[in-house]
Amino acid sequence: MDAVIDPAPTRRPSTWRSRIGPTLVLIVCGLFFVLPMITMARYSLQNIITPLLRWEDVFKKWSLSGIKAAVSDPGFWPALKLSLELAVATVALTLLLLLPTLLLVHIKVPKARPLIEFTTLLPFMIPPIALVAGVAAFFRPNAKWFLNSNFSLVPFYAILALPFTFRAIDAGIRAIDVRTLIDASRSLGAGWGRTLFRVLMPNLKMAIVSSSFLTFTVVMGEFTIAQTLLKRTYPQFMYEFYSNRGQGATALALFTFLATTAVLGLMFFFVRRRDRRAGTTTTVF
Amino acid sequence: MSQLSFQAVRKTFGPTVALEALDLDVGEGQLVSLLGPSGCGKTTALRIAAGFEFATSGKVVVASKDISNVPAHKRNMGMVFQSYSLFPNLTVAQNVDFGLRTRKQDKARRTKTVADMLDLVGLTAQTSRYPHQLSGGQQQRVALARALAVNPQVLLLDEPLSALDAKVRTNLRDQIRRIQTELGITTMFVTHDQEEALAISDKVAVMSNGRVEQYATPLEIYRTPSTAFVARFVGSMNQLPGMVRLDGGVDVAGTTLPTPTELPAGQGVVVLVRPEAVSVAEESSAGFRGTVASLTFQGADTVVGVRLDVLDALVLARSESTKVGQLSIGDRVGVQVDTSHAVVEAAATEPAA
Repeated sequence: MDAVIDPAPTRRPSTWRSRIGPTLVLIVCGLFFVLPMITMARYSLQNIITPLLRWEDVFKKWSLSGIKAAVSDPGFWPALKLSLELAVATVALTLLLLLPTLLLVHIKVPKARPLIEFTTLLPFMIPPIALVAGVAAFFRPNAKWFLNSNFSLVPFYAILALPFTFRAIDAGIRAIDVRTLIDASRSLGAGWGRTLFRVLMPNLKMAIVSSSFLTFTVVMGEFTIAQTLLKRTYPQFMYEFYSNRGQGATALALFTFLATTAVLGLMFFFVRRRDRRAGTTTTVF
Repeated sequence: MSQLSFQAVRKTFGPTVALEALDLDVGEGQLVSLLGPSGCGKTTALRIAAGFEFATSGKVVVASKDISNVPAHKRNMGMVFQSYSLFPNLTVAQNVDFGLRTRKQDKARRTKTVADMLDLVGLTAQTSRYPHQLSGGQQQRVALARALAVNPQVLLLDEPLSALDAKVRTNLRDQIRRIQTELGITTMFVTHDQEEALAISDKVAVMSNGRVEQYATPLEIYRTPSTAFVARFVGSMNQLPGMVRLDGGVDVAGTTLPTPTELPAGQGVVVLVRPEAVSVAEESSAGFRGTVASLTFQGADTVVGVRLDVLDALVLARSESTKVGQLSIGDRVGVQVDTSHAVVEAAATEPAA
């Protein structure tokens, strides 16, 4: 039983004076995030030359021509397609490596966890440019075919995403009693495969989804490695397009931002809703 | 015939010996408890039976078949765990169904088994709930139904009641025993709670340091503990220091207790006697004398604490409340000790006198 303590006697009467501080903070933060978006939107989507943009024209001459130009560029779809393929491949590789490893570490060698946690932080300490320079120096003379493939980016993206993916999956594993669930499943006759797919994965669903999404965003936004290895990924396309048509590229950036936010929101909404039904406790990274 | 038997099962974890040559037979349809303090090897024994651990040497035999090397999921065991082990993403019915699906039984049969099992544990109204919507006691009952649904050869219970509060605990304990008797299923029950073990078992194996100290019925364990460890661990005991006499009895501060012992004369010993074997009498009677130091009313019985004049020892006597009702603290009384079930152990050090 939770003891319910009535907070009323100790609470000061809420007046506009006590609310003014928090409200002000919210307004400032809101402006900080929203103003650049509005500016971006006006710059890229209003058919008015930038120096002539005035507040009186806020509702005039809006047009999607900038974004249309970006989308109809011959480089757009291949770049987007490549980045999406890389993202899917990276998610698959990450889950394939990380899920069994972390489960094994959790059950068999819990002492190794701090070491692994530290290792996953390395991508934060090693700048991507240093990583890619080393990679290029090693693979160019030794395995040029590897660097020639677009998918040579996948392992590096998996490494770059490690600080996020490790934490998401680790938190998910620690939120459930893995050991007992495995024992229970096995004592009921389930082999390792069934235990993994019918017991562990469903209960790590939220962790898997957040880890996948974080991987996805890392891949969709990575520029340094792709640029250095001359791969035409989506960020690379945006960069090139920007040097030709600033307005179109800004419109593209704005739409990309809105699209990822929408996908993220929808994903969490659906998983959350199904989870609430099942009542599993999940940790969002 | 024994349904489950451990034959010289030894288990080591690195330098630590968890089990030292365990020999134990669990008869068909019996409920046997493994009782002992934490670290005594009882859970290791259970996990070896379940197949979660493998014995370093020795054999585990179920229904005359050596299953020592059979992995957990190929053994036909039902297990209930100490911590809540229901699959959080499945409903009560789906949890119970899990083992049946694994065994690829047909739908109609599964549905019937699930209904029967939930009826058995009294949870028919909760079939479509999720584990987090149930109380701890209900969760353990679902876990029991889930373990029984697969019709296991042996039911293994790993301290299933220890996470529950006192009242639920007693209820569920009795329910487990009722169901176990009803189904006639061979059961091994691990616990550190002696009251629990004595209450529901056909036989109790008291364990310490990886060894079975005594394996007997609850009554024998309580009445005639075979070692001092068992005597101390099960129930409470008075300890009277003394010395073995030439004629075989034990001298406790000038009073001779007629306790048979194989220890040599002159050996310093401790005599262990249950409170119910101690009685309070008139001060003039033979035996020890002392002053009433405490009175603990426990309903039908009252436990009288008497500070003896000799030894400066506090002795507890359990008597019917009606017989000692008129006593009050500070009263002078005589104390008589019935040593017919007393245990004599060699003292750790020689007594000073």
